[in-house]
Amino acid sequence: MSAPILSVRDLATSFFTRRGEVQAVRGVSFDVRQGEILGLVGESGSGKSITCMSVLRLLKAGGRIKSGSATFEGTDILSLDEDALSDLRGNRIGVIFQDPMTSLNPTLTVGDQVMEAVRRHRKASAAEARARAIELFELVRIPSAAKRLNSYPHEFSGGMRQRVMIAIALACDPKLLIADEPTTALDVTIQRQILALLKDLQRRLGMSVILITHDLGVIAEVTDRVLVLYGGLVMETAPVRDLFARPAHPYTVGLLGAVPDLRDDTHKRLTPIPGSPPNMLSPPPGCPFTPRCPHAMAQCMAALPPLFGAAHQSRCWLQHPDAPKVDAIHEVAA
Amino acid sequence: MRQPLLQLRDLHKHFHLPTAPFAAKPVLRAVDGVDLDLMKGETLGLVGESGCGKSTLARTVIRLHEPTSGSILFDGQEVVKAPERQLSSFRRRVQMIFQDPYASLNPRMSVGDLIAEPLEIAGIGTAAERRKKVASLLDRVGLPSDSAQRFAHEFSGGQRQRIGIARAIALEPDLVICDEPISALDVSVQAQVVNMLEDLQADLGLTYLFITHDLSMVRHISDRIGVMYLGKIVELATSADLYHRPSHPYTRALLSAIPVPDPEAARAVEPMQGEIPSPIDIPSGCRFRTRCPLATELCARVEPQLTDIGGGHLAACHFAGELAQQANGVTSPTKERTQ
Repeated sequence: MSAPILSVRDLATSFFTRRGEVQAVRGVSFDVRQGEILGLVGESGSGKSITCMSVLRLLKAGGRIKSGSATFEGTDILSLDEDALSDLRGNRIGVIFQDPMTSLNPTLTVGDQVMEAVRRHRKASAAEARARAIELFELVRIPSAAKRLNSYPHEFSGGMRQRVMIAIALACDPKLLIADEPTTALDVTIQRQILALLKDLQRRLGMSVILITHDLGVIAEVTDRVLVLYGGLVMETAPVRDLFARPAHPYTVGLLGAVPDLRDDTHKRLTPIPGSPPNMLSPPPGCPFTPRCPHAMAQCMAALPPLFGAAHQSRCWLQHPDAPKVDAIHEVAA
Repeated sequence: MRQPLLQLRDLHKHFHLPTAPFAAKPVLRAVDGVDLDLMKGETLGLVGESGCGKSTLARTVIRLHEPTSGSILFDGQEVVKAPERQLSSFRRRVQMIFQDPYASLNPRMSVGDLIAEPLEIAGIGTAAERRKKVASLLDRVGLPSDSAQRFAHEFSGGQRQRIGIARAIALEPDLVICDEPISALDVSVQAQVVNMLEDLQADLGLTYLFITHDLSMVRHISDRIGVMYLGKIVELATSADLYHRPSHPYTRALLSAIPVPDPEAARAVEPMQGEIPSPIDIPSGCRFRTRCPLATELCARVEPQLTDIGGGHLAACHFAGELAQQANGVTSPTKERTQ
């Protein structure tokens, strides 16, 4: 197994607001291996975006990394100064955000913006930067690349803008690409094109990718390994096939049951997860899923369960050797 | 045989875009000739990509937009040219649930006032009776009874959507138009709202026009589904039939693009190329031909009409018959599994 390219350990990030401390991320650990697509899935407020924004040190005002470490190719990201950080961001780590319209500057041509990304980190003449920009546009399959460099973002459709964003993110051959809900704002046919493009690029360029999404379908289609986040914690982590075949956490099982199966003709009633996600101003001391969990026990309220298992891990007391057996929840191997 | 509640005939909604003085105004054909019968008590799903005109269609049906031409019959009554004062019964009987539960509720009104507002406008009951009605509506949509004194911002997205639903059913409407009612909600909460909509329909005999881009959810909730592309319905069938026997190449492309939450499921090999053309400049002949893998010279010349290919399954494609036969031979691509 290849060494991890990014190692995050016990990351905790909070936002300090007028109403108090919002504990967005409460001790998240994971590795991203060379050449893999790691999926981060969870609902709004689960901490999936904040985890990645912490790794990039791009937290909004009021946000602070309280503890933990993030090591990228041997460098401790959390101790870097601004200069070193900006060398890392956009150069060795590329980022794509959800909304391609607000991420692009409307007053500059897309070509200028791609060339800016190239020249920000590489010594390149204007002509070289332009050649690289055309190459990048061809890479992300924007038709008539050379001509389209002179267009402004508003002249592009949502899908094409997201291609421009990907071109910018790839400008300096990053080792790691962080894609935060890259297809959420797009139509399903365009989503399919962008996902296929991302997967193809990842293979051809040998990059690692962190894909953040709330869509289990997207997770199933493109990722190799998955972290399921809830209440600022990793609830379950597994290779993608394992996660769907043998879900080992009641939250994962709940999520899978809440989406209709396209292949089902019987019109089975959906099984929603009752209640709503925890308030991160005062997260419960035990497992944050307890109030919504069909299998909740006294122990769940009392203490936060550790992550049980090895390759497939689950943060659930049901995985404890002495816990009662529940049919719907698969056991993880130690 | 169920009676049609809403009948749309050749409905058009065009927008004239602003332009330079003296230049011809470009016309955006958002809804470009829609025929549709909505039966009493059914759920008709309307799907399509952004810009296909599904939301404009909904807004035109409730006359938030004045239609450019065509006819809207509600319970046999023409709605289009009717003067506003004759519309009061129509306005009571047709309600809408909006997509964004954050933007569609007035932040300065208490939840009780929000839900009582439609009753007040319709002049129903005394203040005390309305308060009672609000309490029963809150209970109906599963919100605590003390919600009436609180404000929308105190509620989560899913709860706000419940408030929106309580407002929509306050006047006991016949038709509820749901414009992307669950798109802004988290997965675990979506299922709560969908189940509630189904319960309300069963209890109150509602008819739903359910607009969404979520093809899995629409399959789940709809009796029949219409697929829209560039202002027109290109395929219309019962939801099982549409998914098993998609007979328009656009429907096929849409269905094969849905991400299936199963890593073992077979994937479509090639994603559909290109993007939806501008509704200002609709292609000649078949409007899908610029993205269609089957397009021929015929498609550029002749616009295919929505025709019955058997069992009330309508499709607007010159090759619909062949596609339907093909689909009969093999199961849909998402049904197959890799070894």
